[in-house]
Amino acid sequence: MIELENVNYRYPASQQPALADITLQIKAGEFVAVVGANGAGKSTLLYALAGFVPHFYGGDFDGRLRVLGHDVAADGPASVVGQVGLVFQDPFNQISGARFTVREEIAFGLENLNVARAQMDERIDRALALAGLEGLGDRSPFALSGGQQQRLALASIVVMEPELLVLDEPTSQLDPVGTRQVFEALDRLTGERGTTIVIAEHKLEWVAAFADRVVVLDDGRIVEDAPPDQALVADETTRPGLGQTRYTRAGRLARQRGLIPADRPLPVTLSQAIEYFS
Amino acid sequence: MPDQVSLYAPGNSGLHHLHPLTKLSLAGFALLAGLTLPGRWGTYLLVALFVLPLAAWGGLAGRLGNAVWRIVLPFAVSVFVIQGLFWTGGTPVLQLGPLSVKAEGISFAIASTGRILTVVTAFLLLILSTRPDALMIALTERGLPPTITYIVLATIQIVPRFQARAQTIMDAQQSRGLRLEGSLIQRGRALIPLVVPLVLGSIVDVEQRAMALEARGFSRPGPKTSYLQLVDSQWQSILRAALIVLSVLAVVGRLALLIIP
Amino acid sequence: MRIHLESVGFAYAPDVVALDGVDLTIEPGERIAILGENGAGKTTLAKHLNGLLKPDSGVVEIGDWSTLEHSPAELAARVGYAFQNPDDQLFERTVRAEVAFGPKNLGLSAGEVDRRVRAVLGLVGLAARADTHPYDLQPTDRKLVALAATLALETPIVVIDEPTTGQDAAGLRVLAAVLDRLEADGRTIIVISHDIDFCSEHLERGVLMADGQVLADGPLAQVLSQTDLLARAAVEQPQMMRLAAALGLEGWPLTVENFIADYERQHRPQGGRP
Repeated sequence: MIELENVNYRYPASQQPALADITLQIKAGEFVAVVGANGAGKSTLLYALAGFVPHFYGGDFDGRLRVLGHDVAADGPASVVGQVGLVFQDPFNQISGARFTVREEIAFGLENLNVARAQMDERIDRALALAGLEGLGDRSPFALSGGQQQRLALASIVVMEPELLVLDEPTSQLDPVGTRQVFEALDRLTGERGTTIVIAEHKLEWVAAFADRVVVLDDGRIVEDAPPDQALVADETTRPGLGQTRYTRAGRLARQRGLIPADRPLPVTLSQAIEYFS
Repeated sequence: MPDQVSLYAPGNSGLHHLHPLTKLSLAGFALLAGLTLPGRWGTYLLVALFVLPLAAWGGLAGRLGNAVWRIVLPFAVSVFVIQGLFWTGGTPVLQLGPLSVKAEGISFAIASTGRILTVVTAFLLLILSTRPDALMIALTERGLPPTITYIVLATIQIVPRFQARAQTIMDAQQSRGLRLEGSLIQRGRALIPLVVPLVLGSIVDVEQRAMALEARGFSRPGPKTSYLQLVDSQWQSILRAALIVLSVLAVVGRLALLIIP
Repeated sequence: MRIHLESVGFAYAPDVVALDGVDLTIEPGERIAILGENGAGKTTLAKHLNGLLKPDSGVVEIGDWSTLEHSPAELAARVGYAFQNPDDQLFERTVRAEVAFGPKNLGLSAGEVDRRVRAVLGLVGLAARADTHPYDLQPTDRKLVALAATLALETPIVVIDEPTTGQDAAGLRVLAAVLDRLEADGRTIIVISHDIDFCSEHLERGVLMADGQVLADGPLAQVLSQTDLLARAAVEQPQMMRLAAALGLEGWPLTVENFIADYERQHRPQGGRP
């Protein structure tokens, strides 16, 4: 599905590399979270997967990158349109602005892919259901709340049935309810369609609950690539840029105070914490 | 804040269901006929007998009347006053103290008002009864580049957001002590902290939006399908052709009248 | 400086009521979280505090000033408001100039402006980037610049709208340091935030809003213990409270330390004392 081998990238007019010696393989159907401090290279890595780096930004790129068999670094986003979907932080900038209802907005991608009109309604209905937007089909995209707009952006990409979905901090501007809705939609996607998901996120408790695998970036390098239980328990001295969930912090403090034996593995999610403290 | 800046007034009438190009042809014909008819009263007849019934068919007579009241009437009043009282030379028909009302002036005012009336009503007839995207699709089907379609439609919906952002910027800068009242110089200096964020922020937005459009295949070469289906019919096709012929005749006829003494 | 709102009502349009009979009194030095989902009226309420919005009914008093009688520019001397999106205010070519904008508007001397800029950039950890163009910074660092720009006004009351959005661990540490310093200086802090865990760790009083009304107003732990009101406001409990509830622990812990203290009190340590 995704292969990177010794990938290096530097933005134009930048001294530091944004990505340094990245080697990574992701299999179809995995739910991978990319975490790390701001500026560590999360967005850059995601844009590379979607073909926007270096195509859109210029700069120096070397190394091997294959996404669904395509050399996206050379061929750009056009080579994977409809196969790789990209969702950003800001809901508003992802709405085309050229369509007047939610249904038409979702149809925009299908129109560009030259999908037959007869097939559109069914695909739109499925996308609405997946994003939890049933009943809002006839509303104006601009009459939706921020959380709804972000799910509309998701639906508009998902309707194209991409095999790989890349999301750059999609819940950043959403409240907890909106965040939950997005993660649950992603869970449905991966469960029902086997879509591969690569998501950059700061909200570690959500990453811990939904991701199969966590890739930790630091200064453009991969410093850890492991399941959440392992990747997210590092303490602040080992990984100052990363942070931890409160559950992990509580677990560590309990361990330090001798309340819980040191051999019990630290929790990263609520359910693990309940087990840990019981 | 409205969602968009279009004037489209939704409805279910026969007029609304016409193909956008048919409505464009009707409005275009009304416009050209109005501007080429000889005499002063031709335009009023055209509006009364052609444009108004069409508007009534679309349930838009009220809105049209409202627009006439708000746009044409002030124009009419001013042109009647200026041309009527200050026409140089000419035959006075009424004396108002030191000023006299001239017949030629009134005549000119009637013709002018008639032209404005035609332009406004024809244009509004089109805009009120046609969804902007339907019109754009119709034009795209006839060869208009999709990029232009996108720009027109996106502008309609994004302008209100732009206005909202401008307001937010004003709020943020005032919260840092920027004064918005004062002398002209003070207000001039206040422009930079208001305009620069608007421009810079828009550039950032545009970059993101370009990537988002790209990710949805906007620049993919080859044919595109359309979710919105426009309904056309044989008689509308014939009507449009006829209207185009009549419009050409009207223009030619008027030019002929000008040339031939 | 005391903040006093009495029966404040506000509507954006005849049928869009944003605030409905809000009463609120905030004493100097309090640290308050305004909680609620999008549309509850949090930002509307906050904008009344520096006069960006004037109440349709009721009064808003900042110290001895009624906001009806003063412009936002005047109120900027008493209430600093840090907006959510830094790109809505950044316009200078350097971080330094950006942060100096506010103090200059207050008519301070060049020396005083300079002192404040240096102090506040040090606080947010951007002293080394003082001569950088703000748009050469990461978006979350731009947020810190915008916050610094507000803090440089050194107002007795500081309102911050969603400071934690998109911040990484380092950014959150900076924000914690900022709040600690504001508290040490005795300033009144009002934070609008969805990040309930951050609020629990740094603020002491909660104002819970829904549909333009104040549902609850009191010590944060108390407000967050009222699960039925939280459900109405679509606000979640902090992680530690949820954990405590799931374990059947008594108490309403706001922070990890609170939780461990509660836990310790109710359990014998396992495997002997250290």
